[in-house]
Amino acid sequence: MALEAVSGVFEPGSLTAIVGPNGAGKSTLLAAIAGVVRLARGRIERPPTERLAYLPQQAALARDYPLTVLELVTLGGWREYGPFRAPPAFMRARAVEAATTIGLTERLGRRIGQLSVGELQRALFARLILQDAAVILLDEPLAAVDAQTTTVLLDQIARWHQEGRTVIAVLHDLDLVRQRFPTTVALARRCLAWGATEAALPALAA
Amino acid sequence: MSAHSLLIAPFETLAFMRGALVAVIALALANGAVGTLLTLRRMSLDADVLGHAVMPGAAVGFLYAGPSPTWLSLGGLLSGLAVAALAGIGADTRARQESGLVAFYLVALSLGVLLVAWRGSNVDIMRVLFGTVLAIDQRALWQIAAAASIILLAVAVLYRPLAVSSFDPAFLRMVGARAPYGAIFAALVVLALVANFQSFGTLLAVGPMLLPAAAARCWGLGVAASMALAIGFGMLAGVAGLLVSYHANVPSGPAIVLAAGLLFGTSLIGARALRHAATLLGGSI
Repeated sequence: MALEAVSGVFEPGSLTAIVGPNGAGKSTLLAAIAGVVRLARGRIERPPTERLAYLPQQAALARDYPLTVLELVTLGGWREYGPFRAPPAFMRARAVEAATTIGLTERLGRRIGQLSVGELQRALFARLILQDAAVILLDEPLAAVDAQTTTVLLDQIARWHQEGRTVIAVLHDLDLVRQRFPTTVALARRCLAWGATEAALPALAA
Repeated sequence: MSAHSLLIAPFETLAFMRGALVAVIALALANGAVGTLLTLRRMSLDADVLGHAVMPGAAVGFLYAGPSPTWLSLGGLLSGLAVAALAGIGADTRARQESGLVAFYLVALSLGVLLVAWRGSNVDIMRVLFGTVLAIDQRALWQIAAAASIILLAVAVLYRPLAVSSFDPAFLRMVGARAPYGAIFAALVVLALVANFQSFGTLLAVGPMLLPAAAARCWGLGVAASMALAIGFGMLAGVAGLLVSYHANVPSGPAIVLAAGLLFGTSLIGARALRHAATLLGGSI
C-alpha cells in the first residue's frame, strides 16, 4: 500500500485517531510505526527504550488454536517472564484483574475460538493492559463489535490516555472520533490533515 | 490363534520385528510433537513439500555410498534444509505460493527417482519411495533415536515461543522475541522427515507425522494433551501396522500409514458423535 508525504509528531501522552477512506494507508501507517513493515523511503523516530504495543486487525490471529482466554491474556506479561518459563502466579492474577476491568471474568476458561468477535477483542485489550506499553497502536479496534463492547473498549482507551500513555487508533466512525479523540490524522494516500480533531476532520469531506 | 501368537510372538521371535518396533515407537514420539505443531501452524502442505525435498539429497547420498542409512540421511537432511531455506518455509511473513511449491515437489520427486534409477535397481527405487521399516539396522535405529531425542528436547525447550508463533507471530515479534522460530521449526520438520524417510520413504514420510496428529486434534484437547494423544495414536498405528504387515504379508510402511488413517477417520466420526451426544444430553438435563 503506497503512502507518501506523511509527516508529523505524535506528542507523548496524546490520543490520536487515524481516519480516511478504505485504501488510504491507515493500517500501513500504523504498521510502519509499529515497525512491522519496512519503509521504502522516510523514517520514523521514537525513543528506542520505549515499550510499544500493536494490535493488528483480528484476521491476523488463528482463532482455532486451542488456547484459553486466561492463557491469551497472561501472554501480555511475556516480557516479564520470557519465552522459556511458565507465566508466574502473579501474572495470572494480573490477567484476571485485567479481564475483570474489561468485563470478561466469566469467559476466562473459554477457548478463544468460542468467543464472539467482541469478546475476543476484549480479551486482546486485556492482554494489552498487561503489556504495560508507553505507546499503544490499535488497528480498527472497534470493527464488528457490539455497542456495549464499543463503550467498554473506548473507556479503556480513555483510561490509557489518563495514565499518560500515547494511544494511536485507526477508526472509521467519525462521530466517535469527534467525541473521544482530541487529535486526528486524516489520510488519503497522503496526509490531508494532522492536528486537533475539529480542525482535521473537515479535510476528509473536502 | 491365541492372542499371544497374534500380538506378541512376532516381536518375540524375530529380531527385525523388534527393530521395527523400536523404530516406530521412537518415531511416534518425535512425530506426535512435530505433527501436532504442524497441524496447528497449518503447515501440512509445507511438510509434504519438504518430504519430497528430502528425496534428491537422499538420492545423491545413495549414488555416493549405496543404500547406507547414514549417507541417505545426510543427503536428505541437506537437501531438505536447502529447500526449506530457498522456499522460505517457516518465514513468518511469506506470501504463499502453493502452485510453486507443488511444482517443486514434483520436480524433486522425479529428479530423485531418476538419480536412483541411474545406478540402482527397482528394489532401490521402491525403498526410497516407500521405505523399509523391516530392514532398519542397528545404525539406522541409533540415528532415529538421536533425531527423536533432539526433536523432543527442542520442542520441550522452545514449546512456548513455538506455540505463540503458531497463532500470533506478530505479537511474539512485538514483545521482543525475535528469534526465527518459524525457521527453527522448519528445520525440526526436516529432521523428523529424514528420521521417517528410512522407514516410510519419501512418499509416505509425512503420513506418520500428520495422521496421528490430525486424529488427536479432532478431540478438541489443549496443545500438550493433543501431543500426548498423537504420540499414543502414532505408537498404536505403528504396532498395529507392523502386526498386519507380518500376518497378512503386506508392506509395512503403507500398513502403518493406513492404520493411522483409520485412527483419523475413527476420530473424525467419534469426536463428532461425542459432541452430538453431549448436546443431546445437555438439552435433556
